[in-house]
Amino acid sequence: MTVGEHQAIVSGGEQPLTALDHAGGPTLTERPELTMSDSGVAALDGPFTTRQLLRLDEALRVADQQTGLTFSVYIGPLDEPTRESAEALHRQLEGAAKAVLLAISPGQRLLEIVTGAEARKRISDRDAKLAALSMAAAFAGGDLAGGVLAGLDQLASHAGRH
Amino acid sequence: MSIFSTILVYAVIPLSVILVVAALVAVGGRDGRPDRRYRPGRPYDFKPIWFLASPAQVSPAFGGKTSDRTAQPPALESGVVEGSAGRQVRPGPVGGASDRW
Repeated sequence: MTVGEHQAIVSGGEQPLTALDHAGGPTLTERPELTMSDSGVAALDGPFTTRQLLRLDEALRVADQQTGLTFSVYIGPLDEPTRESAEALHRQLEGAAKAVLLAISPGQRLLEIVTGAEARKRISDRDAKLAALSMAAAFAGGDLAGGVLAGLDQLASHAGRH
Repeated sequence: MSIFSTILVYAVIPLSVILVVAALVAVGGRDGRPDRRYRPGRPYDFKPIWFLASPAQVSPAFGGKTSDRTAQPPALESGVVEGSAGRQVRPGPVGGASDRW
């Protein structure tokens, strides 16, 4: 699929002015940044490859749709005390009661899973600890994307369908 | 075989093959990009990233296409949140887990 085709679909049929001078052009895998928002372009500079970002995006969307909860993944440094700063991040989410935040700090080598009051009824702390264990195991092996995917998958399956 | 052709076959040709491969390795590389992979114990110096399935639907603070682009993410702080009546209320109990590796 080319950038022009993607933009045609996103804009709903009407062909917009594209970044291309002619039909065709670079494919989405060659120049993924052409169809992205600013934050999307910023994410390309992160620790993930384009393929891993796509899989993460898919996993988040599937988890949200299946459970009706809002899953969110933060990867970056957490201020001390880390638990409190992860909970502060969680409160920023709209509908925090139904939100699940996976906060991962590779620099400090720690992770926090925060479940809102409503989400906690569906994902017990023990289930969250299980997911945290498997994520930590993947991270210890250097697999950042795989750990996040495994954690999302476990949490979503513990939460069940809505 | 003369000395000239012996040297040509056994020295010059293998050496030129080695040089070609070495040159390709030196030119190839990672097109100037730093190593993206995270390795435990090595410094991790990427910018923080925060993923949501559909940020614009979840919170206007993330400024999706449909929402007000001028919205700013709320500042980090405060263990208390403001209730609808303007009073400060403790947030509901949150659960979860922590781990280290």
